[in-house]
Amino acid sequence: MSNSIIKYLFFPEILKGLALTFRTLFKAPVTRRYPMVKPTVAAGYRGLHALAKDDEGRMKCVGCGLCGAYCPSQCIHIYTAEGDDNKKIVERYEIDLVRCIFCGFCVEACPFGAISLSEHYEYSSYKREAFYMTKERLLENWDKYFAGEKGRQYYNKFWRPLSEDFRAHEDQALFSRIKQRGKE
Amino acid sequence: MSDLFMQALTFIRSFGILGEIFIALLKIVVVFSVTLLHVAYATYWERKVIAHMQFRLGPREVGPYGLFQPFADGIKLFFKEDIIPANADKPIFYLSPVIFFISALTSLSVLPFFDGFVVADINVGILFLLAMSSLGAYGIVMSGWSSGSKYAFLGGLRSASQVISYETPMGLSLVGVMIMAGSLNLTDIVKGQFAYPTGAYVIPQFIGFFVFMVAMFAETNRLPFDLPEAESELVAGYFTEYSGFRFAMFFLGEYTGMLIMSSIGTICFLGGWTLPKFVMDALPFLYQVPAIFWVVVFLAKVYAFMFFYYWIRATLPRYRYDQLMAIGWKVLIPIALFNIVLTGTLKIMGWL
Repeated sequence: MSNSIIKYLFFPEILKGLALTFRTLFKAPVTRRYPMVKPTVAAGYRGLHALAKDDEGRMKCVGCGLCGAYCPSQCIHIYTAEGDDNKKIVERYEIDLVRCIFCGFCVEACPFGAISLSEHYEYSSYKREAFYMTKERLLENWDKYFAGEKGRQYYNKFWRPLSEDFRAHEDQALFSRIKQRGKE
Repeated sequence: MSDLFMQALTFIRSFGILGEIFIALLKIVVVFSVTLLHVAYATYWERKVIAHMQFRLGPREVGPYGLFQPFADGIKLFFKEDIIPANADKPIFYLSPVIFFISALTSLSVLPFFDGFVVADINVGILFLLAMSSLGAYGIVMSGWSSGSKYAFLGGLRSASQVISYETPMGLSLVGVMIMAGSLNLTDIVKGQFAYPTGAYVIPQFIGFFVFMVAMFAETNRLPFDLPEAESELVAGYFTEYSGFRFAMFFLGEYTGMLIMSSIGTICFLGGWTLPKFVMDALPFLYQVPAIFWVVVFLAKVYAFMFFYYWIRATLPRYRYDQLMAIGWKVLIPIALFNIVLTGTLKIMGWL
């Protein structure tokens, strides 16, 4: 009874709340001031697409179309043609970024590690055309974001395709669990 | 400097009534412009305080530490499109923000900021303030009615009943102060506190102070009693349909109202621009300080109230409407009446 009277008269809950907000006033804010302070991008981030090049600088993509078949939002368009001595060449490789959901299935599906998602994420624009990636621009992205050691690291760690070896890396996102079960 | 000032003053006064009018106009200009600047930075400070209470930073980008944010907001509001709803009652729609804003600004005329500086030193100061704060409710009700929108209408109705309900305990809570000071003049009330042993009426009048504090929040439609403009229920309440500069007038009026309520609290309970007499006697050099510097003490006390406004806003959720009414009528008014009886009895017994 006396307890409830104290609660009624001096409302300790409100005072407790006030004390909490007052203490918070002197704590460091958690706000990250984005354009000035960039967030650290973890390795394996799924950002802007890039088409991989091999050591001689040729495009790795063979135009099999598995990525486009896997793509849940159907935003990958591949057009192939017959080149010299009956070789299949990839004429156009296009990704509609506005439709893309950045699931990374295309990377998982690719048997040659040819399509990749970079750590780059700042590509806003006022024009829709800027979000339609052509083959040339995708290859350019590789030079920008994966040139040298970084591309090699990503290749071994995240995409290591089945054409390379069937015992893919354990950390490989999609198939890792399936593989472990196979081992047991 | 001071000599020159006094000479100028006597020169102006030699023109008789015209000189007096000129001095009054000068004071009005000073009070008006300084108050609006304070209002502008009250919004900035509020955003900063609440942000830091929520682990955020608040305005940072406009100028150093975001200090020009109020001006950026003002310019933005000034150049915004002025939309008037098709089914609004136009004359009343135009008039209501003006009434709200003017009634808030008029209250400034009776506030003594430091010794001898008050635009109109009338002897019913408290009554005038209460009257003006009720007049502001007309602006709210009229804006709610004339907007032709159900949200604005509900906001206006809520505000009307809320202000009427809380006007009563606020007036009653100040009666104790009036009894102790024996005057309705705000300057006399401050001087009475200076002479009083505790230096401020907040200690003998703690019940009245509590009632005043709660009623203060309800009168200015601030959290936790911001039901007339409850965002989650009524979009923005009575000013839902207003935009551009008309909205800015409501906004400025609300913050001016907060400053005025804080000033009333400072003058009636915390001793206005004075420090308690025992402090002054302990530090006698303070008697040499010119009168104008005591405005700092006044502002410090006012901003303590303002900080309390923000603090409460960052802490408490909104009350339900029936709870609001229950607190007003069933708790605050009986407490305030009890306080009047107690203060009066003690005054007659000669113990105060």
